[in-house]
Amino acid sequence: MKRRTFLATALVGTGALALGVTLYRPPYVRVNKALDRHHRLLFSLLLPVVLDGALPQTESLRIAAQNRTLDAISDTMVLLPLDAQAELEQLLNLLESRLGMLLLTGSMTPLLLRSPAQLIAMLENWRNSYLDMMVIAYQGLRELIMASYYACPEHWPRLHYQKPALFG
Amino acid sequence: MAIPDPIVEGLASGWHHIDGSHLDAPTTLEADVVIVGSGAGGGVAAEILTQAGLSVIIIEAGPLKSSESFNMEERRAYPNLYQQAASMKTKDKAIGIFQGRAVGGSTTINWTTSIRTPDEALRFWGAEKSVSGLTSDILAPWFERMERRLNITEWSIEPNNNNLALKRGCEALGWQHTVIKRNVAGCWNTGYCGMGCPVNAKQSMLVTTIPAALSQGATLVSRVKVTKIEHHKQQVFALKAQVLNDSLMPTGVEVLFKAKHYILSAGAIHTPTLMLRSKLPDPYQLIGKRTFLHPTLLSGAVFNDAINGHSGAPQSIYSDQFVWPNGASGELGYKLEVPPIHPVLIASKTLGYGQSHAQLMAQFNQLQVTIALVRDGYHNDSQGGQVQLTDNGFNLDYPLNDVFWGAARRAFASMAELQFAAGAKQVLPMSEGVGPLSSWAEAKQAIAEMTLAPLKTIVASAHVMGGCPMGEDPAMAMVNSQGQSHYFDNLSVMDGSIFPTSLGANPQLSIYAITAKNATALAQRLTSAQ
Repeated sequence: MKRRTFLATALVGTGALALGVTLYRPPYVRVNKALDRHHRLLFSLLLPVVLDGALPQTESLRIAAQNRTLDAISDTMVLLPLDAQAELEQLLNLLESRLGMLLLTGSMTPLLLRSPAQLIAMLENWRNSYLDMMVIAYQGLRELIMASYYACPEHWPRLHYQKPALFG
Repeated sequence: MAIPDPIVEGLASGWHHIDGSHLDAPTTLEADVVIVGSGAGGGVAAEILTQAGLSVIIIEAGPLKSSESFNMEERRAYPNLYQQAASMKTKDKAIGIFQGRAVGGSTTINWTTSIRTPDEALRFWGAEKSVSGLTSDILAPWFERMERRLNITEWSIEPNNNNLALKRGCEALGWQHTVIKRNVAGCWNTGYCGMGCPVNAKQSMLVTTIPAALSQGATLVSRVKVTKIEHHKQQVFALKAQVLNDSLMPTGVEVLFKAKHYILSAGAIHTPTLMLRSKLPDPYQLIGKRTFLHPTLLSGAVFNDAINGHSGAPQSIYSDQFVWPNGASGELGYKLEVPPIHPVLIASKTLGYGQSHAQLMAQFNQLQVTIALVRDGYHNDSQGGQVQLTDNGFNLDYPLNDVFWGAARRAFASMAELQFAAGAKQVLPMSEGVGPLSSWAEAKQAIAEMTLAPLKTIVASAHVMGGCPMGEDPAMAMVNSQGQSHYFDNLSVMDGSIFPTSLGANPQLSIYAITAKNATALAQRLTSAQ
């Protein structure tokens, strides 16, 4: 089955936001926009799992790094070509809908209510899936988060890396 | 001390540059020759045709960016200088493609490796692809000319540790290896060629041929994307183009270009895409087919000592030990090189997430990476990919088949053997399901048994070739051996799309030399007709 067809079919009749926003929202996530256009809340749930071990240990630094990465993700998404933006948008909307969650993860439990271990299990299921669509979803989100995090010079000290100062 | 920026200085001196994003009304521009694209083909053609006294317009869909904005950060370079912010992928998402999109094209962001077209490729084209008059002997003066023009010389400074590992591994195993020639003048050896040279040492089209053409009166039009070739019978009579805004989205304003002769130099994806969209005659259904990528495998290795692969000339050693193992059309060969190691590039082209990925990134400075570029397009079962139109743009459908995976498995084994021979303590083939390997014996067995598959194995490309092949036989070529269209009197193609196969070598110097030859012949033809 073609991925686009699958996604489009899955979206029919769903509209409910399934992240669990009404139940719980982490206080540090800045979601001010009326329409969370860049799926900030969704990514704020994935960042601690995908970047576990890379994010700073100190809470204030970790929160700053996460917010910086969320900003970078928003910046990256608008740079993608229209086709890629549409595909990513479909995936993210699916993850924010209850039926989409059921299709992608086999469970209707909102992401906000899942433990880190459950989120890892979800990512591993996608990563090792026999369906290309799931693997592409995993890789797309992984690449977007990794690229956005490591694009920020503030996150380089852990790599013992800095760009040269040519014009000192 | 500020670095002089030749683009800023040139613009101040009165170069003709039109930034499309500033155009708010339909415009028509006219010249003797209009060139679509400003990379290795378009840049060389522009200089030669301008020198011949012809009026030239160079059209570039990307922006005009120069050293004052090259800040050595991937987050600026990728969106500014790369197609699709460096996230371009094949249709099934199995291959990531790096290609330039800015004035200078891929030459603005390549790693400066300059290699003459391998004799094996030229002989294959002559014998199998009806290409005439392109032998190593005939091309030699054109290579020499472009090597002089772009200061292409052997890199005489000690390789960085990333390249040194490749050299030491080859020495230990008795494998062929070569010191790379680079197109640089006064290189600072910093290692940031891929983000736009911050000191204008790289002799890209951005700082050589294009400024030369502009200084002699050529016009550069940036952020304007040609969308259609208007044609009738054997003549092209105009190019229709769209103005792009700062974000490179169409503003709705159109530009029309008229010329005596038109040259397509938009590269091996966009030249065929433009031809397909314009419905050019193609009785043998060749356009966009046989697009080649040198699909590339990556092998990471952790060393005890610092590698610091971000620092120093990114590529200074290669090995051709495995490129032509059984002649051109035998099993697929591969060239061994190394890439520069920068945070986003490495974070995204490695595997996994969470603790395992963080641990690998913490060893960033101990990480050596070797790459194997597979030579596609020669074997019967290596037909490359196909460019297809979509509603919003294009797709490149490039199936990775058994012949490729056979080469990939051999390549992973060669890279692991090389890395252990160079002193690696761990080797990580970049493919899902294989953990860090601690010895060549362990690696040999693991690689023989590992699963290789699209989306499981990381495959990347920085060399897009083919899709508009040259040759004398119209049944297998869109343009003749001089790049002249078989169907239009006033249309030429001068870029990597004319290669009938991949090269088995980094392509920039091949494009420079073949374009220099073809543009010189075209200039003579056009000026003698005046």
